[in-house]
Amino acid sequence: MTVLYVLDIDDFRPLAVAAAADPAVTVGRRGPYLEVSAAGPIAIDRAATGCRNAIWYSSVAAVRGGRIARWDRDGMLIEPVDSGE
Amino acid sequence: MTLSHVVRGVDHAAFPTFAPKETIHFYRDVLGFPVVHATCALGWGPAQHPDFIHFFFDIGQGDRLAFFYYFGVEPYRDGAVPELIARARHLALHVETEDDLLEYRRRLDASDWPCELQVRHETVESVYVTDPNGYLIEFARPLRAITREDDIDADLSVDALLAVADEERPSLERFYQIKAELIAERYAEEPARVSLV
Repeated sequence: MTVLYVLDIDDFRPLAVAAAADPAVTVGRRGPYLEVSAAGPIAIDRAATGCRNAIWYSSVAAVRGGRIARWDRDGMLIEPVDSGE
Repeated sequence: MTLSHVVRGVDHAAFPTFAPKETIHFYRDVLGFPVVHATCALGWGPAQHPDFIHFFFDIGQGDRLAFFYYFGVEPYRDGAVPELIARARHLALHVETEDDLLEYRRRLDASDWPCELQVRHETVESVYVTDPNGYLIEFARPLRAITREDDIDADLSVDALLAVADEERPSLERFYQIKAELIAERYAEEPARVSLV
């Protein structure tokens, strides 16, 4: 399971919203975080988030079961990794 | 046990200067920081630099920025300090509003030390300038309030940093993994599905 955590505040919530555009993605809450999960990759289109530069590049709180394969000015792709769990 | 937290901000931050004239001009005349104290010491310092002046500028709320000028000492600038280190070490002064930030920018731009960079960071917008001594000075105004969520996240981040710093090859990727484990551990209950529509 690929999991991305973002803090559930106005700045970072748009990432979870954008990720949830993919029906394979579910969003839950853990404490102050939104937990964005998918069996496969999680892709986020930067334009859909409307995040300005500093917000975009500080948006990731944590990642489990995956690695950030791409995180550039246009988007983010988190690919699943075999964590051996 | 929680340690009591009774410090109250900055009393003063002090730096050496070999350019007292430019320093006074920059802080007092360009930025408008009042001079609030100066200690003039004849023969008080160690043998290599017995005579000095330690002068202070008010940087608001009673906090002060101070400089030491040592008489008879050859100007020194450490050219070996990498740019990364020189820029990471900086003093950020707080202003409350965008108008205040732009006012300091205006003062800088009208001087021999114009603003070098204005940028909107995550939670502050900043104006940067290098002072006559080569020290990086920032003015920052808040873009939003810092919330309890930010504090919780910061706590988990430093816990993850402590853990990753112990590893043979610390990386941000490992940091994210460790922090995710800490989040899952701390909030172990099954996450409630949320609707973001």
